[in-house]
Amino acid sequence: MEASELAILIPVLPILAMPVILFLGQLFNGNAKWKGFWKEGGTIATAVMAIVFLLSLWLIVGHVSAFSEGNGDDVVTDVGNWVSYQLFTEHGDMKVQELGFGMQLDHVSVMLLFVASFLCLLICIFSLGYMNTDEVNENRNHRFYGEFVLFCAGMFGMVLADNFLWLFIFWEIMGLCSYLLIGFYYERPSASYAAKKAFLTTRVGDIFLFVGLLIMHAEFGSWDFAVVFNAANIGAADAGLIKAMLLLMFIGAVGKSAQFPLHVWLPDAMEGPTPVSALIHAATMVNAGLYLVARMFPFFAAPAMAGELGDVALLIAMIGGITAFMAAAIAFVQKDIKKVLAYSTMSQLAYIFTGLGAALWFVNNGHDELAFFAFGASMFHLFNHAMAKGMLFMASGSVIHEMHHAHHHLEQSEDGHDEDDDHHFDAQDMDNMGGLASRMPITAIAMAAGSASIIGIPLIGGFWSKEGIVGSAWKAVMYDGGGLFIIPAILVLLTAGMTGFYMSRMWFMTFAGKPKTEVAANVEETTPFIPIPLVTLTFMTLGGILFAGLNFAGWLGENSTHLSLSHAPSHLWHEITHAFLALGSDGQMDPFILIITWTTILLSMVIGPFYAMSLYGGKLAKGQKAHWSIAWIITLSGRIHSTYKFDNSIWAESGLSTALRNRLYFDQWYDSLMLKIVVPFSYAAAWFDRRIIDGVIKGIETGSQEASRNIRSLTTGSARDYIMMAALGTLALFLLIWGVA
Amino acid sequence: MTSHVDEGSQAVWQQLFSDSQTLSALMPEFVMLMGIIALIVVPNLGKAMIRLPLTKIRIPWFFGGQRFKTTSDPRIPAIISIATLLIATILALASLMGNATRWILYSGESTEMIVLLKVDGFARVFEILFFGALMLAAVATVSRMPASKPSKNLSVKALINNRRQVDFHILLLMSGLGMAIVALAQDLFMLFLGLELASLAIYVLVAFHKESKAGTEGGVKYFIVGATASAIGLYGMSLLYIWHGNLQISSHVFSADSGVIVIQGLDRAFENADSLAYIALGMMLVGFGFKVSAVPFHFAAPDAYSGASSPIAGVLATASKAMGFIGLMRVLLLISLPEGDGSAAWLICLATLSVITMTWGNLAALGSDNPKRMLAYSSVAHAGYMMAALTAVGAWRWGHISAPEEAATWVVTAIMFHLVVLVTFKLGAFLVLALLELDGGASRSGSLSGLARRDPVIAASMFIFMMALAGVPPLAGFMSKFMLIAGIVNVAAGDAGSLMSSGGITAFWDLHWVWWLALAVFINSAISLFYYLRIGVIMFFEEAESDRRKPLPRAWFLRLAIWSCALGTFAFGVAGDHLIILCNNAAESFFALS
Repeated sequence: MEASELAILIPVLPILAMPVILFLGQLFNGNAKWKGFWKEGGTIATAVMAIVFLLSLWLIVGHVSAFSEGNGDDVVTDVGNWVSYQLFTEHGDMKVQELGFGMQLDHVSVMLLFVASFLCLLICIFSLGYMNTDEVNENRNHRFYGEFVLFCAGMFGMVLADNFLWLFIFWEIMGLCSYLLIGFYYERPSASYAAKKAFLTTRVGDIFLFVGLLIMHAEFGSWDFAVVFNAANIGAADAGLIKAMLLLMFIGAVGKSAQFPLHVWLPDAMEGPTPVSALIHAATMVNAGLYLVARMFPFFAAPAMAGELGDVALLIAMIGGITAFMAAAIAFVQKDIKKVLAYSTMSQLAYIFTGLGAALWFVNNGHDELAFFAFGASMFHLFNHAMAKGMLFMASGSVIHEMHHAHHHLEQSEDGHDEDDDHHFDAQDMDNMGGLASRMPITAIAMAAGSASIIGIPLIGGFWSKEGIVGSAWKAVMYDGGGLFIIPAILVLLTAGMTGFYMSRMWFMTFAGKPKTEVAANVEETTPFIPIPLVTLTFMTLGGILFAGLNFAGWLGENSTHLSLSHAPSHLWHEITHAFLALGSDGQMDPFILIITWTTILLSMVIGPFYAMSLYGGKLAKGQKAHWSIAWIITLSGRIHSTYKFDNSIWAESGLSTALRNRLYFDQWYDSLMLKIVVPFSYAAAWFDRRIIDGVIKGIETGSQEASRNIRSLTTGSARDYIMMAALGTLALFLLIWGVA
Repeated sequence: MTSHVDEGSQAVWQQLFSDSQTLSALMPEFVMLMGIIALIVVPNLGKAMIRLPLTKIRIPWFFGGQRFKTTSDPRIPAIISIATLLIATILALASLMGNATRWILYSGESTEMIVLLKVDGFARVFEILFFGALMLAAVATVSRMPASKPSKNLSVKALINNRRQVDFHILLLMSGLGMAIVALAQDLFMLFLGLELASLAIYVLVAFHKESKAGTEGGVKYFIVGATASAIGLYGMSLLYIWHGNLQISSHVFSADSGVIVIQGLDRAFENADSLAYIALGMMLVGFGFKVSAVPFHFAAPDAYSGASSPIAGVLATASKAMGFIGLMRVLLLISLPEGDGSAAWLICLATLSVITMTWGNLAALGSDNPKRMLAYSSVAHAGYMMAALTAVGAWRWGHISAPEEAATWVVTAIMFHLVVLVTFKLGAFLVLALLELDGGASRSGSLSGLARRDPVIAASMFIFMMALAGVPPLAGFMSKFMLIAGIVNVAAGDAGSLMSSGGITAFWDLHWVWWLALAVFINSAISLFYYLRIGVIMFFEEAESDRRKPLPRAWFLRLAIWSCALGTFAFGVAGDHLIILCNNAAESFFALS
């Protein structure tokens, strides 16, 4: 049996699991066994996720081995027809159209499927520990798991779909589930507000996306990848409309992947339970936008469009650059550990957009080799970022969870504790933490590895992909017409350094120094299940070097490239020496880029963490010992902290800092825009509805009742009258016939 | 001369009553006849003896005397009638499924011969409809015959006895036989005979409860108005006879031993129609208009519906109405098809009638407090919808629209499908009212109040029927109404595709005007939703009246009929494909050989 035959189970199983979990959850709510063994549905969800993961592992292994044997091909499976309908063609006859559901398995979808299913499984295991040990969630965890599996199903289905309609349907399923899960604690006004905000903001993008898809259907008469990506069909289509379509679709991706200017929902989405944040930020939702943009590749590659779509690609890269820089800047001042990660997500996704923009620009201008490289680097960064960010969120969840528990514990042991304190204590505020490295060794190591990957510390995870993106952006500047790429190129380069600062800042504020509160001093790492995903992902992140050696990025860029283990060392060496694409167009090294990029990156890699150490570093409290792998960092930070004392009060008290703390006032601007435009319009619409529409309907109602009375009064009850009416009717018929004939 | 085979079509020509083959072709009708005879004979069987003269030997004679326990059982007539209808339905279905050969039955010799009956898919589908509807009515009256309470002194139960039941079911079967003849008729005279056989039986059935004032009054009014309409229709037919010389609906050419025989039917004659023919046509429109209760010939209908017992009212609203539609379709679609100056005459008449009918019916239903009257008016509105569809087919037959033939066939299919599924939900709704009548009357909307508490299953069934009447998916009523509207639009659009590309059609008003009928149907459906939903509100949200808190009577047979209606309403909505295909084949056979 082929793995692709079973691939349909990947989205279907979780979809089926959802009603089962919800139904059983309602049925056995409060039952001891349901809470114990069944984890309020968590066991079912984990089992389903495990099956799905094994299936997708089977798929990816089959796919990769087929390619390395040289007979690989994209697998398109037709699952079935959904709707048949008829269309008028230009020649006036009818054409039968079918909306089918099929699955396309190529290197991009297989990679994303693997990322999604792997992380979904780990997050599900994490939730067993995180959700089920918190009494706030008691008796409603089945709702969490039900929505969770549906969310995952949305991602799986979107990745597998072989046409844009199904892609959109699953896209919307994810949108719905994000709304439900962010608003999981619906009793908190902030959570329901955040859920609404996330839903509405992504909705703005979705509407554009849908209009784009309608244009697609109008142009191609189909949504199937096979039809739409056909170079001949693209050639036959109107170039201007294709451009409009791609722009509209990109707006959809911007909304889903939380890019400037539709980024406002992402930080608020932290209101959901932490596994949900991990799910949204690493495994599923935000990757959807990237996937959509990656899927646009054939449009740019089509010969008919050569040179036509350069500005779209530039716009994508530009949005990426701006978002990367802006989000990194905002992350500088965040106190909430999850908010830092949220902005970091935004910033890293923006990297990928920049890389994709460069890839699309290259392919559109005929530099296929470079395009494949940039594309592969972007996809590889998506992979690395997903692994690292998934882990970081789970690690932050671990911190928050244990902080919360410790706080709770302290509360109970001290009777005379101030009641007010309970409401003011914020388990997510990094000002309440500090010195956790010794109390939570697994979490601390995991977070260090994740942060290193995000920063791009050489040889670790994200480094291998980030250099490709930055290099591609710079490379584009060198080519004719790519001059404007200088803006995103500079922005992403600066951001690389800034990433070093805010990620280290987060780590040091949390784990280094002395505990800043009593709670932080009493944290214990005891919750079951939580370490499993952390350890797994730590190895995954550190194993980035292995993937890099396998030329994973090259395979992602162009699936004819083989993955080979035997060339790994030479390949790695090539990667390092040729980092940032310092290869000139003539095959020679371009020393300028090599120098500028390596220097800047190395400097920011040093300066960022160094600056963070000097501000937030510090030795652990007496008697506390961290694991050896991170102990040296803490010691170093303590030394730097005590030696170099920067006075950053100028910055901290400046207007810039306030602006950043207020997220550059985007929310205020949007709110006031709403107040000035949408709210008056709503009032007008409400007035119209009440007065005109309701008025007309009420009028029809009373009028028809009146008419009904009049009409029925003609039914006198006397047969004489009936016959007279019939006779009149007959006469009227004769008159009509006479009049017409 | 016995039979001929027309090689062009697969029809077998058969002299009526010539040999046993007639019997096999008309099997369901013979079964009906046998059923009527059995209903006369069986309940009279008793211990009667005959004494041989001059001896003391007594020979059992069975006919008369003290009746046996089984033959005097009040349920036996209903059982006989159900069995008859069931066998007839199965035979009709078998002949529809298994027999591709169509029978044409004629009478007279060579040049004077006329075609009387034709057995084809069209007729069989309608027969199944009639027999099915009547069977449901018969099932509903097995244990007792529900009626509005006649007077203070007499209980409903007291009215139930074997004799009355025999009368009732004989009339029921007679009306079924009449309807079957209407479905088969190929001659207007034959059609009229069947129509009157059915109608006279139904007049009596409406007034069957002679003890009740409302029943008698409604029956008599229905009879008077119906007789007038029949007279007008018959007058129209006689004019046609004067004009043309025979009343054959369609023309036939077939070869016989004595050479080629040509029957010149009315359809050919209308190619040169003059004003006499058109006046005759208008008069027939009146006659059939009464049968389908089109405005303004509908006035007696609400009185009759509310006076009759509910199952009979259901038969009126379904089977009897379908019978009227057969007449309309035969006369309007087959006879008067040719192109000519006056050709649009009945088209405009019918369109006007249909819009007035559906609007009037809906508006009147809106204010009716009596559920039976409400359903009566709703049935008027449904007649309007189907007449709108007929208009669309007419417009196509006339060549006003150059749509493909399938489009028109599908509209006829839609009408037939609508009539068939109407049996499930319209009759079902009346049967629910029948159950309430057992409980003490169903003439006020208050009698439905609190039904959801008293009997959730029945209330749910009633709600399903109401939703189906309103045309809510996924119920049968949605499917049929959708097919009606889509069919009209499809015909109106015609070959709009090519027109569109050539810039001929830019807006709705460039379509043929029958398109507006679809819009009228649509708007009227929206209005009708109001009063259908109100029944739901009354059943589910209002408190039961103080004297009607107890559970409903058991009446299992009646409940069985209601449940099968509800099941049918749902099943034909989600899986009506087979039925639709059957109707489509029937519609094709309707147009064929014309």
